[in-house]
Amino acid sequence: MTSIPLDVPRVSPVIRRRRTGWIISPWLYLLPTLATLLLWVYWPLLEALRLSFFQWNMVPDAPKTFVGLDNYLSIFALPKFWQAIRNTGIYIAGLLPLAVAIPLAIAIYTHDLPPRARNIYRAVIFVPMIIAPVVAAAVWRWLLDPGHGLVNEAVTLSGFKPVQFLQNPDYAIWTIIVLTGWKLIGFSTLIFSAANANINPSLIEAARMDGASRWEIIRDIRLPMLRTTILFLVLMTVLLGAQWSFAYIHVLTGGGPLGSTTNIFYLLWDFGFSTLSVGWSSAAAIILFLGFGVMAFVLFRLMDRYSFYDN
Amino acid sequence: MTTDAFAFPAVARMPRRPAAILRINSVACHTVMVLLSLFCLFPVYWMIVTSLRPANQIFDTTLWPTSVSLGNYVHAMQAIPIGGMLANTFIVAALVTVAQLFTGLLAAYAFARWRFRGDRLVYTLVALTWLVPFQVVMIPNYLLVAHLGILDSISALIVPHLAAALGVLMLAQAMRSFPAEVIEAARMDGAGNWRILWEVIVPSLRGSIASLAILIFISTWNEYFWPLLLSRSPENSVIQIGIQMFMSAEGNAWGPLMAAATLASLPILAIYVLLQRQVVQSFMKSGIR
Repeated sequence: MTSIPLDVPRVSPVIRRRRTGWIISPWLYLLPTLATLLLWVYWPLLEALRLSFFQWNMVPDAPKTFVGLDNYLSIFALPKFWQAIRNTGIYIAGLLPLAVAIPLAIAIYTHDLPPRARNIYRAVIFVPMIIAPVVAAAVWRWLLDPGHGLVNEAVTLSGFKPVQFLQNPDYAIWTIIVLTGWKLIGFSTLIFSAANANINPSLIEAARMDGASRWEIIRDIRLPMLRTTILFLVLMTVLLGAQWSFAYIHVLTGGGPLGSTTNIFYLLWDFGFSTLSVGWSSAAAIILFLGFGVMAFVLFRLMDRYSFYDN
Repeated sequence: MTTDAFAFPAVARMPRRPAAILRINSVACHTVMVLLSLFCLFPVYWMIVTSLRPANQIFDTTLWPTSVSLGNYVHAMQAIPIGGMLANTFIVAALVTVAQLFTGLLAAYAFARWRFRGDRLVYTLVALTWLVPFQVVMIPNYLLVAHLGILDSISALIVPHLAAALGVLMLAQAMRSFPAEVIEAARMDGAGNWRILWEVIVPSLRGSIASLAILIFISTWNEYFWPLLLSRSPENSVIQIGIQMFMSAEGNAWGPLMAAATLASLPILAIYVLLQRQVVQSFMKSGIR
């Protein structure tokens, strides 16, 4: 290396763990990232907070009227809002079995498959994860079509009437949940399998020598050792579950029928871009942000307390 | 657990249950996995099969097409400018990937190389952006884009994604395990920070960078929400929006719709076929998202 160094701050031989005063270099390196995140995440967050106190229809010249907490009060008085909150809960509760419980059971149950078979299954069950949500929605709409969809062909063949999977307000939300779960089930299974494979086999063998039954091994060794992974996936599902279904809702049901598939994320979109009421949408966004912040905080605390660290 | 110190591999392989039960067990295991695999793969298979059927056989329920036709693809390409949309999507995904790697490497280097006042706070601020749902900031972001006058353009799809927490966090983690002595040696040789980063650290992080690149590219390719807010004209849309437009225009033209969906997935599926192991690993390393 013969060329002239670009900058010459060689003061200390110790590279890390040294608190110097104000130095400029790290900030230069951080600048692009910080500028982007401040401009597109933090500033908009404050802006959403500000807009939530105004009434405005997004037309640039239209007046912005300060209305104080009115937007919040009207949202809380809106049955649609409570329906969306309830639906968000249903989405999360419905996704937990598909994204956590079933994958966990499958991963534990199939942990001693031969490696070659396991690699094939692994490659196949991961596929939904990389398929775009819109593509998946299109394909499922075709499969579930009441007229000619393959699923309903099978239903009619078994002697039942075709099921209105997406048109019946009683089923639509569950259909969307299963489709969202379709994307996640294989991926979660892989995560659990990997964590399960990391458990030291001598622990299992030792327990077996002590006469522990298969179930006791699962209950007393595997599940406790998998606790971190379980909590992690629960956290992801709770925080992001309702978000993952957005594309499916938008493409397949538009939040209907009768609002039965509208969750809080879809409601935000609906307020903001269908009804163009910026104030309501921003107020709902702030409520959502605070709600999720609290949930995230609680879940992270839980994770900290109950995680199992296998050193 | 009293027998921790045993050397077990040999013992572990000893069948402890009768062979017949083991075989039933393994058959049951395979059944579970085959069912799960079918559930996961069949829709994708059906998409491709439907797209290849001639128009008059779209409603056939045979598991493979009895005769193959590309008519659906022709129809789809006439209905929406799929070629241009795929090109748009590729440009967006590629530029976002390069940009996020670049900004991520710089930021990660700052965290790995220096302790400075406020470093923990800044790191936390970067990490926390991950918890802000996009729907919460969508209206101010939309207004900002409108203010910049780049609504309905490809650049609006790229600019907000020039940096992201995921890249910074993953790269910072990778750099943290980089041996300090090597950096020190490079410094002794008179290399500045810029050269240390690009000539010493980056080459040795090729694995992490590649897996991050795969992740960013695929997620950007599949992104739906942000383009949905911005896209107006088909020429400036990405393929995901194209499919959505096609679906609302001619919802039940199943053959062409499946053809468009297949074309939209083909690049990603090709990457997956080529780099299956790396793709799976990079998604698993990052958690979800």
